Amino acid sequence: MTDAILAAERVSKRFGGILALSEVSFEVQAGEIFGIIGPNGAGKTTLFGCLVGALKPTSGAIRFLGERIDRLAPYEVVARGVVRTHQIVRPFREMTVRENVAVGAAFGAGRRRGPEADDSVSYILHRTRLEARADVLAGTLTIGELKRLEIARALAAEPSVLCLDEVMGGLNPSEIHDMMDFIRSLKADGTTILIIEHHVHAVVGLSDRILVLNFGEKIAEGPPTAVMKDPAVVTAYLGAEAPVAPGGVP
Amino acid sequence: MTLRIHSRRDTAIAVAALLVLLAAPKIFPRGVVNDLWSVAFAIVLAASWNILGGFAGQVSIGYSAFLGIGAYTTALLSLKGISPWLTLPLAAFLGAAFSVLIGLPTFRLRGPYFTIATIGVSEAVRVLASGVSFTGGSSGLRMPADSYDFVSNYVAIVLLAAAAVGISWVIRGSSLGQALAAVRQDIDAAEAVGIDSTRVKLRAHAISAAMVSIAGGLFAMNFQYIAPGSVFDFRLSLSIVLMPIVGGVGTIAGPILGAIIFSYMQIKLLSSPALRDSYLFIYGGLLMLIMIFEPKGLVGLWMRLRRSVRRAPAAEIAA
Amino acid sequence: MSSLLPVLVNSLLAAGLYATMAYGLAMIYGVMRIINLAHAGVMMLGAYATFTLFTRFHMDPFLSLLVVVPLFYFLGVLVYRAIVRRLPRASAGPSMESLLLLFGLWLVLQNLAYFIWTGETQSILTGYTMKSIEVLGVRVGLPLVFVFAASAASLLFLNLFLRRTYAGRAIRAVTQNRDAAWLSGIDAERVSAAAFGIGTAFAGAAGTLMSTMYAFTPDFGRSFLLKAFCIIVLGGMESFTGVAAGALVLALLENAVSAWTPIPTTFQDAISFTLLVLALVLFPKGLPGLAAGLSRKVTAR
Repeated sequence: MTDAILAAERVSKRFGGILALSEVSFEVQAGEIFGIIGPNGAGKTTLFGCLVGALKPTSGAIRFLGERIDRLAPYEVVARGVVRTHQIVRPFREMTVRENVAVGAAFGAGRRRGPEADDSVSYILHRTRLEARADVLAGTLTIGELKRLEIARALAAEPSVLCLDEVMGGLNPSEIHDMMDFIRSLKADGTTILIIEHHVHAVVGLSDRILVLNFGEKIAEGPPTAVMKDPAVVTAYLGAEAPVAPGGVP
Repeated sequence: MTLRIHSRRDTAIAVAALLVLLAAPKIFPRGVVNDLWSVAFAIVLAASWNILGGFAGQVSIGYSAFLGIGAYTTALLSLKGISPWLTLPLAAFLGAAFSVLIGLPTFRLRGPYFTIATIGVSEAVRVLASGVSFTGGSSGLRMPADSYDFVSNYVAIVLLAAAAVGISWVIRGSSLGQALAAVRQDIDAAEAVGIDSTRVKLRAHAISAAMVSIAGGLFAMNFQYIAPGSVFDFRLSLSIVLMPIVGGVGTIAGPILGAIIFSYMQIKLLSSPALRDSYLFIYGGLLMLIMIFEPKGLVGLWMRLRRSVRRAPAAEIAA
Repeated sequence: MSSLLPVLVNSLLAAGLYATMAYGLAMIYGVMRIINLAHAGVMMLGAYATFTLFTRFHMDPFLSLLVVVPLFYFLGVLVYRAIVRRLPRASAGPSMESLLLLFGLWLVLQNLAYFIWTGETQSILTGYTMKSIEVLGVRVGLPLVFVFAASAASLLFLNLFLRRTYAGRAIRAVTQNRDAAWLSGIDAERVSAAAFGIGTAFAGAAGTLMSTMYAFTPDFGRSFLLKAFCIIVLGGMESFTGVAAGALVLALLENAVSAWTPIPTTFQDAISFTLLVLALVLFPKGLPGLAAGLSRKVTAR
C-alpha cells in the first residue's frame, strides 16, 4: 500500500435488491481535499456511511493509514480520527451550541473533558462563527448555523480526516464563498478533507482531486479539470448542472 | 431546558431535609416514620430508574427484577446465617451483573422495542422465580427472626435515597451524563461523534440496577417476608416507571416529586377502601393525561408556567 | 414420533387464535407505527362482554361475535378520535408517548373491569365446552375447533377486505409506504381511525374466542399480549402473511416444548418471552427477513 491516509478497496454495498455501490476503489492522500460528486442516488452518502462505520460494506475494505476500519463501530472509527458530518443535520437539539461542540470534544479523538475542553471549544466556536450563539439551544438555530454547528462538532472530535456531506446545501452564494474559504483554512491546518457536494463549481474550486460516482460505480478520478472534461462525466451530468469554467455564470 | 439545583440555597435545603429525615425516629411517631420509609424507598427506585430511563431515554418496565434479586439475595443468605448488612454489597453486584446480562442483547433495540423486551424479560424472571424451589417457590421466604432492627434499616434507606439522588446529580454533570444525554437525543449522531452508546447504556443500567437491588435487600430486612408476587411484580415495575415520569423524567427533582406523590397516594389509597380499588384507574389516568398534555411531567409543567409568567411583563411593555 | 400428529394438529388450531389476536396489533402498528399495549385490555373486555351476553341474554359466545365485532370497531374509532389522535406525534417510527399512553389506557380498562365484574375468576361453560372431537385422528376440544373455524373465517374476511376494498387497499398502502400513500391522496385520519377500529375489533373478537377456552380475570391478556408481540416481531411487523407464519411458529414451539421436553407448563410463558427477546435481537426483520436473507444466500453468485 502507498502512503494514502484513507483508501477504499473494491467497496460494494447492497441493500436488499439494490446495489448502491459497486467495486469502488480510490485513495486519498494526507492533507488533500478530495471531492466526491455524482448525480442524485449515485451512492455518495452511502460511501461516506461505509467510510465511517455507519454502514458495513457488503464486500471490499476500507483502510485508514493501512489499518482496516470497515468492520469497526462508528465510535471506534472516530477514535482513530475519521469523522463525518451529516447531509441532514443532526444536532443535539436540547443542548446548547456550546454543549453540542463539547460532546464532540469529550468523545472524539482528543477526549477533552471539563475545563481542558473549554479553550478548545471556544476556539472552534470562534472559527465557525458561532460564538454569538454559543449558549443558545441548538433547536433554535437557522439552517446555516446548524450546518456550521455540524462542522464545529465534528472538528471538536479532532479528526485527521474530515468527511463533509453536502455542507453547502441551502447556502446562498456569499455563504458558499465563506464556506470554501473556511474549508481551505482547515486544509491549511493539515486536516485531510473529503467533500461530497452538488455545487459542482465549489467542488471544482476546492478539490485537489475528484471522484465521480454514477449508479454506484466510479466513472472518473483525478484532478478537477481533467475529470470535468471526461466524456463519461459529461454524459452523466447531461441536462443537470453542467460544469462551468471558473468565474463563469452557472 | 433543565432545572438545575446547584445554588447554595438548594444545597442547604437538601441537607436540612436530610437531617430532618435522619432524626425522624426521634421526633415523629412510628406510623409517620413508617411512611417516611416508604417515601425514601420510592425515591431510591425513582431516582435510580431515572438514570437510565430519564438521562439515557431507555424506558425499562422491568426494574422489579432487580428489586427481587436484591431481596432474595439478602433473604437467602440471611437464612444461611450471614448478617443481612453484609449481603447488601453482594445484592448490588448481582443486580448490576444481571443488568449487564440483559442489557447486552436488548440495548441493540431502539425505543419502544427495548421497552417491550424489558417487559418480556421481567415476566420471564417472575415466572422462573415462582417455579424454582430454592427461592421458596410462590410461597416466598421469611427472614430470620432476630434480624429485625427498624431504626438502622430506616437510616439505611434514607442514606440510600440521598445517595441515589446524589449519584444521579453527579452523573448528570459528568461526561457520562453528557454521553447519556447525547444518546437520548440522537443515538446515531452520538455514535458519529465517538460515543460508544452500548457501553454508556450498560454503565447507566448497572449503576441504577445496583441501587435498586440494595433497596430490595433493605425491603426484605424491613418487611421480613418476601414472595415473587410482591417483589417481582409487574405493577411494581410500572410504579417505578410512573414516578419519574409524573414528576419529570430526566430531571433531578422530578423523581423525588414523583416518589413523594406516589407514596402519599399509595398510603392514602391503601387506607381508604373505596380508593384502593381505583388505583389502576388513577395510575393509568395520570399516565394518559401526562402523555397527552405534558410528557415532561410536573417539572415540565412548572417550567412552562414560569416561561409564560416571564412573558407577561414583556407584553405589558410592548403594549 | 407418535406424538407428532397431535402436536401438529394442536399447533395449527392454536395458531388460528394466535393469528386473530396478533392481527389486531399488527394492523395498528402497520398503519400508525403505534404499539398498542391496551390490546390486552381490549381482549379482556371482549371476553367479559361475551361473558355478560352469555349470562344475561344466554347468547352463545360464537354468536356474540356478531355483536362484539361491530361494537368494538366503533369503540376503537372512538378511542382513536378522542385520545390517540391528540398525541403530538413524531413522524418517523413508534414513539414512547404512544406506548405509555396506551399502557395507561390498559390500566384504566382493567380497573373498569374490576368495577363492573369484580376480580373474581369467570369462565363460560356452554353445552359444548367439555366436548371433544377427533380431527385427523387426534382428539381435541370442541371449543378449540370452533375457535379455529371462527379465526380462519375472520382472517379470510380480513384478507378479502384488504385486497378487494378501497379502504383495505388504502390500509395496505399506508402500511407499506406512508409518505407515498399520503401523497396519493389517501386521507390519513380516516385510514388511521379505521385501522384502529379494525385492530380493536379483532382484539375484541380474540377475547370472545378466548373466553370459550380459558377462565379470565381483569388481569387477563398480559401473557397473550406478549405472545402477540412475539408473533408480530416474528412476522416482520409489517407483513400480514408474516403474522400468520409467526403465529404458527409460536404455536408449534409451545406445543412441541410441552409435548417433548420436561419443562412444565408454568414455564411456557417464559419461553414465549424469551423467544420474543431473541427474535427482536437476532432477526429484527422477522421471519420474512430471515427468509429473504436465506434465499439471497441460496441464489447468490
